Amino acid sequence: MSTVKTRVLEDGQGRRAAFDDIEIGHSLGEMEWQVTDDLVDLQCQLDQDFDPMYFLQGEGGKRVAPPQITYRPPRWLFSRAYNVRGLFVRWESESFRAIEPNTTLKVTGTIVDKFVKKDREFVVYQAEGHDAQGNLVFRTKRTHVLDFVERSAPREGAGIDSGIKPEKI
Amino acid sequence: MAVIDEGVGAGYALPTVSKKFRLEDFKRGEEKTIHTDYEAAAREGLPAPVAIGPQVAALTFRQLRLSFGAGWVVGGRYDLTFRKPVFVTDFCVARGAVTRVEPEGDKLRVHCDVWVENQKSEKVIAGTASGLVPAAATNG
Repeated sequence: MSTVKTRVLEDGQGRRAAFDDIEIGHSLGEMEWQVTDDLVDLQCQLDQDFDPMYFLQGEGGKRVAPPQITYRPPRWLFSRAYNVRGLFVRWESESFRAIEPNTTLKVTGTIVDKFVKKDREFVVYQAEGHDAQGNLVFRTKRTHVLDFVERSAPREGAGIDSGIKPEKI
Repeated sequence: MAVIDEGVGAGYALPTVSKKFRLEDFKRGEEKTIHTDYEAAAREGLPAPVAIGPQVAALTFRQLRLSFGAGWVVGGRYDLTFRKPVFVTDFCVARGAVTRVEPEGDKLRVHCDVWVENQKSEKVIAGTASGLVPAAATNG
C-alpha cells in the first residue's frame, strides 16, 4: 500500500472544507455538554489515569474529571461547521474550575486565525466552557492542519475517515 | 498527593510517564479511521495509522497531575505542539523539568518545559505547562 500525493476531496460526509471556505471570526456556535460519571470513567480509561481524585471515595465524596476531558466538545463544534479531517498540531488550554460529573457546560467556539506554513494550511479556533452559573470553567485554543499532504498537491478522490464524528467520547 | 511543593526550584525533573501504544488503544467500535486503518491513513498521505494526539498528550497530563495534584485540575495551563506523527505502535515517554516559580495570589505557579519522546528519542510533542502549589505558610 503506497501513500498518495493528493489531498482528499471528499468523504462520506461530503466535500472536505477548503482553506478558502474557512472564515476568521466565524462563530462555531454553541452546545450544551453534559458531563456524566460514565464520561469521566471513559476519559480515565482512555488516558489510563486512575487517580483517586477522579473517582468517588466514601460517602459524600466528590470526584472531578481530568481536565483534558474538554478536548472533544470544541472539536465537535469545529466539525459541525466544517468537514475537516487533517491533524491536530497545537493545543493550548487553561482550567479555571474543576469539572464535576452531573453538570452541564455551555461550550462556544470561534475561528480565530488561519495561515499557511511549510506549504500546509492551518486553522486556529478557540473555545470556552461556562457552567450553569456563567463561570468560566475552561478556555482552549487549537491549531489544526487541514491535510498531512502539502497544499500544492491537487485535491481528488475520496477519503475513508471524515473529521465529522459521532458526538461522544 | 502532589510531588511538587513550594520548595521546588528550576531544574527539578518531573516524574516520567511512559506507554507502549497498540492499535487497539485507538479503536472506537468498527469505525475505520486514520488511527486504526492502514488504507484510511494512506488516503490522507500517512505511511501508517497515527495515534490520537490527546491520548499521547495524556502521558504529559498524567505527569502534571502527579506533579501538582489538585493544582493541576484547577489552575493548570498548557501549550503543547504536536511536532511529529506518533504511530499506533510507538513507545512514548513524557518528560519535563521545572523552569521557574512565581507567586500567583496566595499560591505559587510552577512553570515547566514538557515533552514526549518516541522510541527514537525524537520529541513528538513539546511545549510548556504550569500548575499551582500552595505557598509556604507564614506566621504573622
